[in-house]
Amino acid sequence: VPVDPSPALCVLADSREICSGPEVISCLRAEHGLRVQVCPLGTGDYIVSNRLAVERLLRSELQSPGNRNKLSQRLQRLQGSFQRICVIVETDRVRPGETSRFFQRTQHYDGVLSALVQAGIRILFSSCQEETAALLRDLALLEHRKDAAIQVPTEPEGHRRDVLNFYLSIPNLSYGAALNLCHSFGSVAAVANSRPQAEELHRFLRHDFDLELLP
Amino acid sequence: PVTAGSIVVPYGHVIGNEKWRGSEIAQRLQGKVRLIFEDGLGLVDFHVSNRTCILLISEADLVAGDEFKRRLVRFRNASSLRGIVIVEKTQISDQYYLGVQKLVVLELGMVLLPVANQGEASQLIIQLVSFCVREQSRDRGANPFLRKQRAQLAEPAVLQAVQQIPGVGKTKALLLLQQFGSIHRLCNASVNELEEVVGQTVAQQIYTF
Repeated sequence: VPVDPSPALCVLADSREICSGPEVISCLRAEHGLRVQVCPLGTGDYIVSNRLAVERLLRSELQSPGNRNKLSQRLQRLQGSFQRICVIVETDRVRPGETSRFFQRTQHYDGVLSALVQAGIRILFSSCQEETAALLRDLALLEHRKDAAIQVPTEPEGHRRDVLNFYLSIPNLSYGAALNLCHSFGSVAAVANSRPQAEELHRFLRHDFDLELLP
Repeated sequence: PVTAGSIVVPYGHVIGNEKWRGSEIAQRLQGKVRLIFEDGLGLVDFHVSNRTCILLISEADLVAGDEFKRRLVRFRNASSLRGIVIVEKTQISDQYYLGVQKLVVLELGMVLLPVANQGEASQLIIQLVSFCVREQSRDRGANPFLRKQRAQLAEPAVLQAVQQIPGVGKTKALLLLQQFGSIHRLCNASVNELEEVVGQTVAQQIYTF
């Protein structure tokens, strides 16, 4: 009997995932009963807690050296905004009429895995979108147990929407962090005047603007 | 004997558990890495650096039952080394994979990497060793997934952020920043101070934002 997850269990999914991983999203909703909020995350495919972002990669993407730069840029950007990063390596889908492609493990592939391990990025393997959804649920449950679950409303409206967009324009501030700021502080001024716990954010808000430095 | 302690691994070497001597995996490693065999490594199969070691789970281990799980838990409890678990994921052992992954990655917080056979395992170990060597030599820039701390100019981003305030476009954003200097001071400006830079309506909009 599957454990009924707490109704608060929420996952943010990037809008691009509607096209590239529709079964992941529908499985999370229908089978696992999670609340999936689709939004323009920009970086990261899924955000499962206040500190953990998940990137869904196809195995073929890890195989080809041509992807290396794009992949490293994606993950470096995530590392700027998240404490923890997890990569789900999903086996490519076999299209109808296509016989299962023989997977030839390359040195490049092993090199990428080694680099991910060394960078402290967690790696999970999945054989299809349904399995990916189950892994996302497991991660969300785990983070919930560790009190890191996303617990604020994820669809701000009106004025809050504007304030959210303001926070989203701050470098290295994740979508989740921006949502949290929206809900924990009455105004941007309150954040700017709060005791500086997030150093980088405070430096940004207090940054002395110099017109000369604009490119 | 439950040993899982750290040992000193000479630079660029791999220390292998005596039980792997003569195996396919050892043969394939030899010549590619400097492999030394030692007795008494206990739970560990290979040490690839002073702080990283490898535990191998074969197809047979998976099929045999839960003994390998006890081994992993004992390792986790006894050692502070970074443990990388390499598991033989074949057509036969595939059905166990998800369960193993849940235990190793989610519950024990270790690294789990699947391979199809011992040949693949040795290839993977060679890559892991080469990354451990780079790590020891502090050549961390070589890792494409580690974030490089680059000092980025905040100006373009600050300007972008101010433009998110309703009623403020690029021109007004520039004027406001020139007048107030930072977002912090802009937040704390009074309506009157704001009116000196922008019109009454926008000043009110900024103030209520």
